Amino acid sequence: MIEVTALRKTFGSVVAVEEVTFRAPDGRITGILGPNGAGKTTTLRVLSGMLQPDRGEARIDEVDVVADPNAGRARLGLLPDARGLYPRLTARENIRYYGELYGLRGKTLDRRIEELIEMLELGHVADRAATGFSQGERMKVAIARALVHDPPNVILDEPTNGLDVMSIRSLRGFLARLREDGRCVLFSSHVMQEVSALCDSIVIVAKGRVVASGSEDELKAQTGAETMEDVFVALATGEAP
Amino acid sequence: MSPLWIVFRKELVDAIRDRRSLLSMLLFPLVGPLMVAAALTFTAQELDQNRDVELPVVGRSHAPALMAFLRDHRIELVDPPEDHLEAVRKGDAPMVLIVHDDYSERFRDARANTVELVVDRSRTAGAGDRARVKGLLRAYGERLALLRMVARGVDPQLAEPLKVQSVDVSTPAKRAAIFLNLLPMFVLIASFIGGMYLATDATAGERERGSLEPLLLAPVSRAAIVTGKWLASFVFSAATVLLTLGLTLVALTMVPLEDIGLYVDIGLGDVVGILVAVVPLSLCATAGQILVALFARSFKEAQTYLSLTIFLPTLPGAIFGIKPLEAQPWMYPIPVLGQQALLTSTIRGEPTPIYGFVLAALGASILALVLVAAAARMLRSERIVMGR
Repeated sequence: MIEVTALRKTFGSVVAVEEVTFRAPDGRITGILGPNGAGKTTTLRVLSGMLQPDRGEARIDEVDVVADPNAGRARLGLLPDARGLYPRLTARENIRYYGELYGLRGKTLDRRIEELIEMLELGHVADRAATGFSQGERMKVAIARALVHDPPNVILDEPTNGLDVMSIRSLRGFLARLREDGRCVLFSSHVMQEVSALCDSIVIVAKGRVVASGSEDELKAQTGAETMEDVFVALATGEAP
Repeated sequence: MSPLWIVFRKELVDAIRDRRSLLSMLLFPLVGPLMVAAALTFTAQELDQNRDVELPVVGRSHAPALMAFLRDHRIELVDPPEDHLEAVRKGDAPMVLIVHDDYSERFRDARANTVELVVDRSRTAGAGDRARVKGLLRAYGERLALLRMVARGVDPQLAEPLKVQSVDVSTPAKRAAIFLNLLPMFVLIASFIGGMYLATDATAGERERGSLEPLLLAPVSRAAIVTGKWLASFVFSAATVLLTLGLTLVALTMVPLEDIGLYVDIGLGDVVGILVAVVPLSLCATAGQILVALFARSFKEAQTYLSLTIFLPTLPGAIFGIKPLEAQPWMYPIPVLGQQALLTSTIRGEPTPIYGFVLAALGASILALVLVAAAARMLRSERIVMGR
């Protein structure tokens, strides 16, 4: 479970996150929806312990990530905005490196790598150097290395960026599988269709604040809008639909 | 298996698969030895006194005694080319000796004679041969003067009221050191070049590829990550030093050093001494490179900064070359300067104090640790990680 309470983060005079509060429960997919620059990535970076918030709390399974970032990271798999691979290492080696850094060894690590390769359908490129990978293949390896330690909480920052339709479909299937396992899945996007197709509940962020949250139907009822796009425009800009 | 070891091993594997970082390690060690060997071989040929020198002579028959003298001193007299001035100008002949028609007549009357030696002083090739022929001609003239004075009952000492005799106190090993001064410079540059590409790729390159943020998400201390990357760069740097030194020594065995009167005695003890002096510098150079590359905004910027640092190890060499300095105790703990002092005296065959090696190793290692700590600290900065 991921919980963020009254989070605030500034860079110099720029306020990236004004005040963000939300809760993403286990066994559900929660989407953070917002236009570019709304503060989504900054919020996720605070959750991963990469950034120190000015104020507020961020907890992963009751662990305060500001006080103990490594304990938080052990329970969290994060696919960040930056998803570069080592081009001279094979897909398998890229995943293995992270597995070792997360403390996995021997048979456990071997088994986990095989599991991820099978789950993400990476078999045909597993032993090829990453240098020639397609966007979709690169994304899958980046997800595999983020989940190598089998974390109960998964955060993906704009995972569909630059992917083709087939890759997005396969990613959707994968996220649904994570939900079935009872994991807490949180992902950010600026594309409404994706969020409505996949998420159990949606948190809409604009200008560093949470402007609304709930299921798709709840949001529609709340704003009186017909489509998710109208909901989004109404909430993000404050205009009536 | 500690996180440090995991990072270290991965960086080494990654770099070994990269042709560019391998090239920067392998190419430089070839350049140094080749240059030293070429310079020494050239000198050996120039100074070789036992070689026959060809001398085209115009009017050979006018001066049979002079010709016999030259031939006795291994000058091979040959027929002159058709247009001898042009031949020298074009470099076809290094020089031409001209004996005038009236030579034998003036010789018989014991009058002063003139011979002309046509040379092109703008050409450095054959300078040694020209100097040798000039010396022989002068010696012949002096001998002639002597004989004529004796024939007239004059004491030949009168002709030479002041005799200059230089006493050379430098040992052959010291003279060799003038040429071998290049060796410390090459070895020091090797320690800077060897790990440079890896240090850049593992820091600025990692960030530019977008793999730094995921890496820092792993529950591993930043100090372990930086140290692993640093030690991998160090391995490349030290290997380059080893290769440069080894190949230079191999090259030296192929150069006819005895012909120049040079005596180079670099034994196993000296090799160990050089390595003990330079390996700590590798620690320090790669640590500095990691720090600078982390600070740079991009891979290119890092490369620009780092290519400037290669001048660093050439500085003491250049200064020592202009104004020779004797090694002073205060120099030892200063990285680069200390290594230069130790290497120069080791190669010159002078006794080098053990405490010099200890101070140099300590100075470089302490600075290396400070630099690595600064790099680890930098990696905790939000600004540096996000790439500003």
